Amino acid sequence: MTLFLSIVRRAFSVLVTLFGVSVIIFIVLRLLPGNAVTASVGVSAGLLTKAQLASLDHYYGVGQPAVEQYFSWLHALLSGNLGVSLVYRESVSTLIGSSLPVTLELAAVTMIFGVAIGVGFGMWSALHPGRWQDDVGQTVSVVGLAVPSFILGTVLVVLMSTKFHYFPSSKAFVGLFTNPWLNIQQIVFPAIVLSLGIGAAILRTTRAAVLEVSGLNFARTALGKGVTRRAFVWRHLFLNALTAVVTMSGIQLGYLLGGTVIIEQIFILPGMGRLLISAINNRDFPVVQSVTLIFAAGFVIVNMAVDLAYALIDPRTRNR
Amino acid sequence: MSEITNEPIGLTGSSLGEEQEIVRHRTWFQALWRSRNGRIGVVIVGVVLVAGVLGIFNITPYPASAQYNNAVLKGISLAHIMGTDQFGRDVFSGTMQGLGVSLEIAFLSVLIAGALGSLLGIMAGFLGKWTSAVIMRFSDMMFAIPAILFALAVVTALGPSVLDSSIAIGVGWIPIFVRVVRGPVLALRESDFVRAGRVLGFSRSRLLFRHILPSVAGVIAVQVSLALSWAILAEAGLSFLGLGPPPPVQSLGEMVSNSSSLASIAWWTLAGPSLVIVIAVIGFNFLGDGLRDAADPRTKTR
Repeated sequence: MTLFLSIVRRAFSVLVTLFGVSVIIFIVLRLLPGNAVTASVGVSAGLLTKAQLASLDHYYGVGQPAVEQYFSWLHALLSGNLGVSLVYRESVSTLIGSSLPVTLELAAVTMIFGVAIGVGFGMWSALHPGRWQDDVGQTVSVVGLAVPSFILGTVLVVLMSTKFHYFPSSKAFVGLFTNPWLNIQQIVFPAIVLSLGIGAAILRTTRAAVLEVSGLNFARTALGKGVTRRAFVWRHLFLNALTAVVTMSGIQLGYLLGGTVIIEQIFILPGMGRLLISAINNRDFPVVQSVTLIFAAGFVIVNMAVDLAYALIDPRTRNR
Repeated sequence: MSEITNEPIGLTGSSLGEEQEIVRHRTWFQALWRSRNGRIGVVIVGVVLVAGVLGIFNITPYPASAQYNNAVLKGISLAHIMGTDQFGRDVFSGTMQGLGVSLEIAFLSVLIAGALGSLLGIMAGFLGKWTSAVIMRFSDMMFAIPAILFALAVVTALGPSVLDSSIAIGVGWIPIFVRVVRGPVLALRESDFVRAGRVLGFSRSRLLFRHILPSVAGVIAVQVSLALSWAILAEAGLSFLGLGPPPPVQSLGEMVSNSSSLASIAWWTLAGPSLVIVIAVIGFNFLGDGLRDAADPRTKTR
């Protein structure tokens, strides 16, 4: 019951946050000087169908004061109208429908790699503080945090295509269900590149949390009463460090959604990031607005999921 | 990415005994120099800043845009320590200039984020419940948009230039300063010396700027250093995507992007600017960790 209540409360605060996010996006993209909404609609208007123009009018709230424009946009969003792309002359929801799965697949694979790297090296270095294993872990974390994914990605692409003449991304992207083998080859390399930075952040958190826990009294007691090494490491140390690790993974998943933007560009993946960049370059405002909102919504929802995960991991937080 | 850097209060830290840990430092710089992270950070950041400032004032081994027809795509040598590109330009000179541009944008954006964010954070911690609630809600909402996306959205609206890039990168980092500064201010508000000041009838602004601000300066300094490293990465990312300042201004990210097609025949054109980005980021990260060690003696683990 308390769990249910806390879910309801969180969901409400998510709605409030999303409302605020939409206001901020509206202010940034529509009210700042230099935006070319009306001009661009005017230019491409002749190329759109009547129905598309009507839905875009509703989306923008053309000819209304700013506040009403906002609510017109909100109403359009809630009724499933994400606008019409001025460049592709298609509804934005269609464009997103085809690119979202790519980004989600990339994010999922990256997260698996990132958590494996982070928890693996983090535990390894925390269990040998001050020894060479720790130095290896620290080096991985410093390098992982400092080398931007676009440099790593560029280097990998150059190496693969010139030294090994192997570049699966040069073929048109295929879905997971049409050609799983090629699809995995196309996803796995960008995922590796992205996962290093994420893994480094998770590594630092894991190491810090495990080190902190292992200094506490209960850990000494467990060792003293003769708990096996394996049970000590995983049940006593890792389980207690898990909340911190999950928090960090959640934060990183949010950043990851932004990180895909650059990596999709390098590996030519037709995901949300590539859609966003081409929209920015073409000043295709409906697409920019909707894609940004969806990324932000994803981030907010992930954070809520992380909050809820606490209750599952740590019984002490259930009755807050 | 970098707000997770609270180093562990490790096994050794707590068992060493407090007497050994508490050391009086004459200046903050000595405190910084005492930590290994701090020393590494100071040295790297010092070199990076000098190189960048020289780049800004065009004091480079060769004029950055000069094209030497007899030295096209030459590898690394004593004359060209990072080689030359397809027009015979010296990569090292170009990189110094690019570093200058990157640092300009990074410092400007952190100035925006640090000034606004710290001010809002102090207000949220010190002023009444309502002000605090409004500021925190607003910062939570800003926080919900990943900073790099925010930067992309702002660049879309404002268009690319040095100032616009700085605003785009800085604004997204404001909520982090708000959060980091507000916590300590909340604690300070109830501390004895601030209460004493209130009893003595000091004005609010005097309490804020003479008493509270100096006490949170350490926290802000740590965050500034980490924000700088993030800003360099973010700027490089933006200009890699072609959303940086327009030519002839060229930042490091743009150099990486331009040389990626060249890298298969001349790897050094990619290596130079990439290496400088990584070194600068590592430097500011170490400096941030060092500043934290200096501000809080308990975390001195190494």
